[in-house]
Amino acid sequence: MAGKWLPAAELTASGRPVLFPGEIECSILSSVDLHSEENPNFPYFKVGILILTTHRLLWISDSAPGTATAVAVPLAAVNHIFSLKKSIKSIFASPRIRFQVSAAPDGKVDAGGSNLAVITLVLRGKNDHEAFVSKFWEAWRGRAWVSESSKSASGSASGSDVGGFSSREGESGWSSNGLRLAGVSGILRKEQEMWESTDKSLQDAFQDLNALMSKAKEMVMLAEKMRQKLLSGPTTQSGANDEEMGSKQEMQDWMLSVGIASPVTKESAGAQYHQQLSRQLADFVKIPLEKAGGMINLIDIYCLFNRARGTELISPEDLLQSCSIWEKFDVPVMLRKFDSGVMVIQNKSHSDEEVFARIKSLALKPDALKTGLSASDAAMTLGMAPAMAKEHLLNAESKGFLCRDVSADGFRFYINFFHEIDPSGLYFVKDYGTYATWIKAAIASCIQGYRIAQLVYFALFDPRRKDFIICLVLLKLPPAFSQIQSYTYNGGRP
Amino acid sequence: MRRRPGIGGLQTAAAARDQYRMLGENVAKIRTDLMKEQLSTFRSQLEDFARKHKNDIRKNPAFRSQFHEMCAKVGVDPLASNKGFWAELLGIGDFYYELGVQIVDICLATRVHNGGLIDLQELCNFLCQRRKSAHGAVSEDDCLRAISKLKVLGSGFEVISVGKRKLVRSVPTELNKDHNAILELAQAQGFVTVEEVEKRLSWPSGRATDALETLLDEGLAMIDDGHRDRKRRYWFPCASSLSSVGTDTLKI
Repeated sequence: MAGKWLPAAELTASGRPVLFPGEIECSILSSVDLHSEENPNFPYFKVGILILTTHRLLWISDSAPGTATAVAVPLAAVNHIFSLKKSIKSIFASPRIRFQVSAAPDGKVDAGGSNLAVITLVLRGKNDHEAFVSKFWEAWRGRAWVSESSKSASGSASGSDVGGFSSREGESGWSSNGLRLAGVSGILRKEQEMWESTDKSLQDAFQDLNALMSKAKEMVMLAEKMRQKLLSGPTTQSGANDEEMGSKQEMQDWMLSVGIASPVTKESAGAQYHQQLSRQLADFVKIPLEKAGGMINLIDIYCLFNRARGTELISPEDLLQSCSIWEKFDVPVMLRKFDSGVMVIQNKSHSDEEVFARIKSLALKPDALKTGLSASDAAMTLGMAPAMAKEHLLNAESKGFLCRDVSADGFRFYINFFHEIDPSGLYFVKDYGTYATWIKAAIASCIQGYRIAQLVYFALFDPRRKDFIICLVLLKLPPAFSQIQSYTYNGGRP
Repeated sequence: MRRRPGIGGLQTAAAARDQYRMLGENVAKIRTDLMKEQLSTFRSQLEDFARKHKNDIRKNPAFRSQFHEMCAKVGVDPLASNKGFWAELLGIGDFYYELGVQIVDICLATRVHNGGLIDLQELCNFLCQRRKSAHGAVSEDDCLRAISKLKVLGSGFEVISVGKRKLVRSVPTELNKDHNAILELAQAQGFVTVEEVEKRLSWPSGRATDALETLLDEGLAMIDDGHRDRKRRYWFPCASSLSSVGTDTLKI
């Protein structure tokens, strides 16, 4: 329904808006209503988060995650922003910001539309509305969306200034000095001129900050060109010294990190800082997690996230807080603390349930039924470090899936089938279930299998052997043969 | 050039081609050199700007992203603030956070080579290289302080003292895949020695010893010092097959 009037905005899996290239957030407000007073059919968007960017005004509903909807008003469609009316009434009521947008005849807000509609924003939260209005004006006047398309046209024009006179002068055959551009000398002269113009533009750009700002796009393209030339160029100079190789390595390293164009900062987000930061972190974390195989150290993420943000660093405390807020949102990652104090971020799919299922299936294999599962076996089959595997096995034990066996050979784990033993039908051997599988496996393997079968048979069908069964199961048979033998002798002949 | 017939003509043509080629190479070389010069000018200018106008850059978000793009493409580290007086005294301010990020960065980059264990002195050297034009070099004490600020994020980073040297471990035991590699090696004979590990997996000496010591702590390995050649062997009972052990006890 909303799509009829306002274009929908895309959201990432964690509820952050998907931004256009070059789009940067300026301000984030919470508890904002969006509606159109004069148009009764316009849907009333209640209590959501409003994000002002350089290109659009985004409204995201604050409802349960997963069902969040988002709509956007392109700033290109805004015709006029009404100034805040100051009256006695407005001191007590929530501040309202009204602006006029152009709409197509069917009511949809569109930049090229002919009709006009007025949209009102009601700021219900404790926000500084005057600062927001001034930012709104700035963003609207900045016309970042328009300058993008025109800049790309002018960029290519100035790029050719910097990049070489070849395209333009090639046709005329004359360079700017009027010298003939032909033959080898022509090529050399062209090179010379190219170098001189680059030099000049470099000098101009770095005179002061404002100059750099205005020439920023040009500089970026220049940097890209340099990088491509020097990185992909053949290393014919075999005597490249260490510094060069080091700097090349640096350049390559930087390239590996994916940058965040619009990081959430205190200035832009204000009160919503931690929420938006945690959502942005959840989005960012996906790629490194996959590369690391599902689990990554929190400190590594701290470094990667800060690198992506550039100079807008977050403190370790901020990071920790953002991770702890994750529980409130429906994000596919979680924070996990180990007993040794190490904290990692892992995928929810890599969570305990899945690992337990894998451990269970491992423990039900005939080998594991005979000799049990050790931390190193689990580590190699599950593909994780032995300390990690041991941690998982201990967790599984505390949940009741496994039982431990501490012997001279080390720590081993067996499948737990206590819960299958029915106290009333204690003496019936079932043909199905884990217990039966274990019996079969245990019997098939051991040398004194017949002995064991006898033991089990008599133990189960003899009322006096009630306590014996518990001991038997507790001893986890095969590695503890000697103990079984001693019990057998103590309890009398089988 | 006049085309001459016959062998002489071919030779002249070949000589001419050679000359053109050399000229082309020369031009390319000059071009690359000039570009390198410009690149280094670009870099130093960017570094200066990053330092002097840091606050202004941060205030303007659109320009900031462009500045970062420039820095990223050219290879300049934008985290280059100076250590202020108060920062040093009270341990606050951006300097230590930036240093922390750079330290973790270096550890991540060298992890492939040293398995997560790096000498503190080496770390400081790498840092100084990265912060080339910084006013005042980075001391070991600064590194230690920056690492301690990261403690909030769990004990993933720790500083261990081995004799006089200090080592920084950036990979916690739970996430260390080195141990798996050693266990695989151990399956062949049931034991490994430090030399064998170093030779087969081409690790530096500290890495192998550290991993074996950790496995010892975990209870997965046992030491055997009684062999004739006096080399310490690490036995892995879990890695060897159990049935051979079981049959012996049964015959009691």
